[in-house]
Amino acid sequence: MPGVAFVAHCLLNQNSKTDGGARCPGVYSPLVDELRERGWRIEQMPCPELAFTGLNRFWAVREQYDTTAFRRHCRKIAAAVAGAIEVHVAHGDDVILVGIDGSPSMGVHVTSSDPARGGRPEWPDGAPELSPGSGIFLEELTAELAERGVTAPRAMGVSHQLPTHDPSQERAQLVALMEGGG
Amino acid sequence: MEGDLRSFRVALVASELVNPEAGGVDALAVIEQEGWGAMQLPAADYPDEVAAPLLDQVAEQTEEFVRHGYTLALVGSREGLEQALERYGLAVPPAIEPDAADQLRAFLAEVAAG
Repeated sequence: MPGVAFVAHCLLNQNSKTDGGARCPGVYSPLVDELRERGWRIEQMPCPELAFTGLNRFWAVREQYDTTAFRRHCRKIAAAVAGAIEVHVAHGDDVILVGIDGSPSMGVHVTSSDPARGGRPEWPDGAPELSPGSGIFLEELTAELAERGVTAPRAMGVSHQLPTHDPSQERAQLVALMEGGG
Repeated sequence: MEGDLRSFRVALVASELVNPEAGGVDALAVIEQEGWGAMQLPAADYPDEVAAPLLDQVAEQTEEFVRHGYTLALVGSREGLEQALERYGLAVPPAIEPDAADQLRAFLAEVAAG
């Protein structure tokens, strides 16, 4: 086995997406197929937003999720995921992480930010909410791994919800990540 | 849900069927082809203290899908799942231990048809 890929929940289950966000009925196959073709073991992470704000949640930015309660919820999930990562690291497995860029919780290199967003949910399409940085769950997972003395895995974010989404580039990025880059 | 392609069908799947051995049933491939989403159960090779909090997350997220009337199924099995679901007041959904891809395909179609 070349390694273990911890993937965002919605890569295997688009039913967990915010209303309007599901790109396919269930499994987001482009990247999942790439991982499996190369023999990587897949480990699905829980969706931090699904059980906290539910299936009827609004699209939201980091600032709206950045509450003590949500961070506590994320840390609980992060502890569960870190425990599994720790098992694989102890076995000497190569571990990577595939998040969701643009997500307020699962973003790896791109999250969404708008300090003024709140109140009645009306905002224009194309509001400039994307910003560099990680989502809240990724921050909590990184902190949890650091506390355990486990090096954070190489990581990338799926870009399918970004306006610049390029499927071939996304696939190439995953290949590079599996091969030790990223 | 305008423009949203979700299927409203979620299969809880044993990790060993998401990552099958050579020659084993590739449940994830069938689930993808049949338009279901997958919620992966903790691998059998995880120690209990690692698997338990992951099972709790599976149960908590399953509860949210049940509340909203999504169709659920269990593909394979995982020790401790029934108890984890019970803690959230949930029963184990229709289940199968598939021996072959076509058998799983037929099962998912039957569950989806209600």
